[in-house]
Amino acid sequence: MKDIARQQLSIQVESMDLLNNQIKMEAHASATYLAMASWCEQNGFFTSAKFFFKQSEEEREHMMKIFHFLVDVGGNPISPEVTGINHEFSSILEVFESALEHEVKVTESIKNIVKKARQSLDITTERFLDWFILEQVEEENTVRDIVDMIELTGMEGVGKQMIDDKVADWIE
Amino acid sequence: MLLLEKSTYYSVHQSETKRLFHVDFGQKVVKLNFCQMLALREKVNAIQLDLLFDSEVNKHGLHMLTLCNNEHLFVLSIEQVIDLVRLVHNSFAAMGLSQKYVPVSL
Repeated sequence: MKDIARQQLSIQVESMDLLNNQIKMEAHASATYLAMASWCEQNGFFTSAKFFFKQSEEEREHMMKIFHFLVDVGGNPISPEVTGINHEFSSILEVFESALEHEVKVTESIKNIVKKARQSLDITTERFLDWFILEQVEEENTVRDIVDMIELTGMEGVGKQMIDDKVADWIE
Repeated sequence: MLLLEKSTYYSVHQSETKRLFHVDFGQKVVKLNFCQMLALREKVNAIQLDLLFDSEVNKHGLHMLTLCNNEHLFVLSIEQVIDLVRLVHNSFAAMGLSQKYVPVSL
């Protein structure tokens, strides 16, 4: 008797569900960063807007990486529905603090999938997520550094302009 | 045909000659390939069971399920929906692709 199921799918279905949720999360992050870019453009933070446009693209790349992985392992990737994007922020500090919170949530979600994959001995999924774990270290570090820089510079006087100029240091 | 899983109303068999699964819905047997099995799983996972019990949202206590790009249509009672959810989850556990096994006791 052929093991049709195993021949068709290389990962556990629970991992597939979690990765589909992660696709949704990355899509939400991409849309959130686009909203942040829009806010920055409207409020004169043009360099920060560039930063968020780039971040938005990166999140979409992450989403597509997971999407293609699910295709490669024979899974069923689901195109995500994105709703509830916040477009309102009180300051540039709030924008970057929200971005940091978002990155932390993404990191925790990925760690959770790794944990579940490990429990079900789904080594394929666990190994696939290695790249994401390291990528999240970089993502969190970048936004954390910017938040620190904003706090250090302060938003009085020319502070806002200095902050926006300085964000260029984190655009590769 | 190899029986993978049987629930109160339904059963799933794996064909020994073709790369297909046979889902016996009682009134008819539907042949599904693995991708269609995954799609069926996605459909049953998307059913919000709590809403089925809400008489304002679901007056008649029924759920419509379509399969294989609307080739098949099933009208299921709440009890049958719960049974189908268990069957599908347990079938994937029987295939060795899931850790979840839900005991069948309707």
